[in-house]
Amino acid sequence: MSNRFKITLVRVLAIQVITLLLLGWLQHYYSAPLPPSP
Amino acid sequence: MHPLNWVIVVGWLIYVVSHGIRRSKGTKELEGYFLANRSLPWWAVGLSVMATQLSAVTMIGTTGQGATDGMRFVQFYFGLPLAMVILGVTLVPFLHGAKVYTAYEFLERRFDAKTRSFTALLFLLSRGMSASTIIAAPAVVFSAVFGWNLWLCVALIGVPAILYTMIGGVQAVTWVDVKQMFLIVGALLAVVITLLIQIPLSPNEALHLAGAAGRLRVFDFSFSLTNTYTFWSGLIGGTFLMLSYFGTDQSQVQRYLSAKSVSEARSSLLISAYWKIPLQALVLLVGVLVFVFYETHEQPILFNPNNDRAVRSAQPVQFAALEQRFHAATSLAGRDSVRAAAYELTSAVTHQPVKDVKKADVNYVVPRFVIGFLPIGLAGIFIAAVIAAAMNAISGELTSLSTATVIDFYRRWIRHDATDAHFLIVSRAATVFWGIFACIIAKFAVNLGSLIEVVNRFGSFFYGSILGVFLLAMIPRARANGAFVGLIAGMLAVGFVNFSQPDVSFLWHNVIGAVTVVVVGMALSLALPRAVEAAPAS
Repeated sequence: MSNRFKITLVRVLAIQVITLLLLGWLQHYYSAPLPPSP
Repeated sequence: MHPLNWVIVVGWLIYVVSHGIRRSKGTKELEGYFLANRSLPWWAVGLSVMATQLSAVTMIGTTGQGATDGMRFVQFYFGLPLAMVILGVTLVPFLHGAKVYTAYEFLERRFDAKTRSFTALLFLLSRGMSASTIIAAPAVVFSAVFGWNLWLCVALIGVPAILYTMIGGVQAVTWVDVKQMFLIVGALLAVVITLLIQIPLSPNEALHLAGAAGRLRVFDFSFSLTNTYTFWSGLIGGTFLMLSYFGTDQSQVQRYLSAKSVSEARSSLLISAYWKIPLQALVLLVGVLVFVFYETHEQPILFNPNNDRAVRSAQPVQFAALEQRFHAATSLAGRDSVRAAAYELTSAVTHQPVKDVKKADVNYVVPRFVIGFLPIGLAGIFIAAVIAAAMNAISGELTSLSTATVIDFYRRWIRHDATDAHFLIVSRAATVFWGIFACIIAKFAVNLGSLIEVVNRFGSFFYGSILGVFLLAMIPRARANGAFVGLIAGMLAVGFVNFSQPDVSFLWHNVIGAVTVVVVGMALSLALPRAVEAAPAS
């Protein structure tokens, strides 16, 4: 594998992991019931 | 709808057609017409690649899916970034470096004429049919929502796209795609902001409501060959599908063949790698927020206006009772069960069976919201964006169909020594032919609902197998007859799985097809002596 390919692969995968983590957080945080208002 | 909305729609149509025609400079030679003289910048190519796969079905159907089923559809695209990187180092340098017009032309250089012609024929059959479904899907919704004649809806979408594609070729298509991508993304963002303002809850409460109804459930980590929307189907099956689509389908390959260099072609694909999943999430989020909007406002029991009118007039008493129960229901499950009863009633009145209650009105949820609740002007912008998305997809298909027809068949088998002027006339005629073909089939696809499903299944029969042939092309020891027999074996394997295990998701068909072609193709290439191989090809 060339260096250029490795760098591109790492960048794309890093962005994808961040996107998936954000989507996972969205699912996890908002699936919980709404806390009662004070 | 307010006349100002129509002024916006008509104004946009006039603008894109005139812009496309203005951008047709340098299309007097074949390379200019089909490949923009290989001169386009990476960002324009990249936006055009994204625009070609974003059709009106995305704007109407995928947003509707967000409202009725939530965000899990986004898993379908999990393989895309990886596929883009793999293509950037494998097929893109091969295809761009070969200076070909079509992906199939490359197969003749590597293997033989029969492999080229067969793959090009499969492309023409599947894309010719799918071009019609791209027009049919929004046309039937427009017809139902606005009460217009179906032919008028088909023409509204088809004619402007045929016009600028025919005159300006790939250059016009690319630059119009760029402009329309800005309109589409702008319209989606504007609708999200409007929804957040119109929903009588804070954004945090709105998302909690959506989450509690399961609409924000993205991930399903179960491993199932029958479920298309799981993490593993998306990651593994999706990677193969995206490799097939972006690496071997002329409608995508032609985009990056028009880039200035291999490096720019690679960069153009990376735009999709970075932005496709966030864009798809935005599209689904629009649907999720429309769901929340309807949960906080009075919603129709049937979103399809045609069905609503038919049931109201045929069974007024029964329908009124259902409506009463629907509005009295206090839970989502309660409303869903009344809605299911309303679909049964619809089915009895219209004599059209409802296969899946969850999907029955999926294409009408967002259009009803757009017409009923979006402010004047923004509704027009959204409708223009839906037509823009349809035109982007159809123009990409038309230009690639015309290229494959002329380069892989007319120039290869009928007239290989004619002038560029002659080929240009034939190319424009081919564009118009495929455009009219798509419009006519679209009219019938609307009446034969299952045709769309047939077309999709038909495509999944050979998509992976064609990918397998291109993978073989990159293996030095692979030979022509091995590749051709492998291609047939791959299609047979997919056909066998499809008929013996019909529940297996089409995403896995691509994996099965590609793997079979590579295994059979390599086994035959290694087994057949070189002399036997050379004989039939010479």
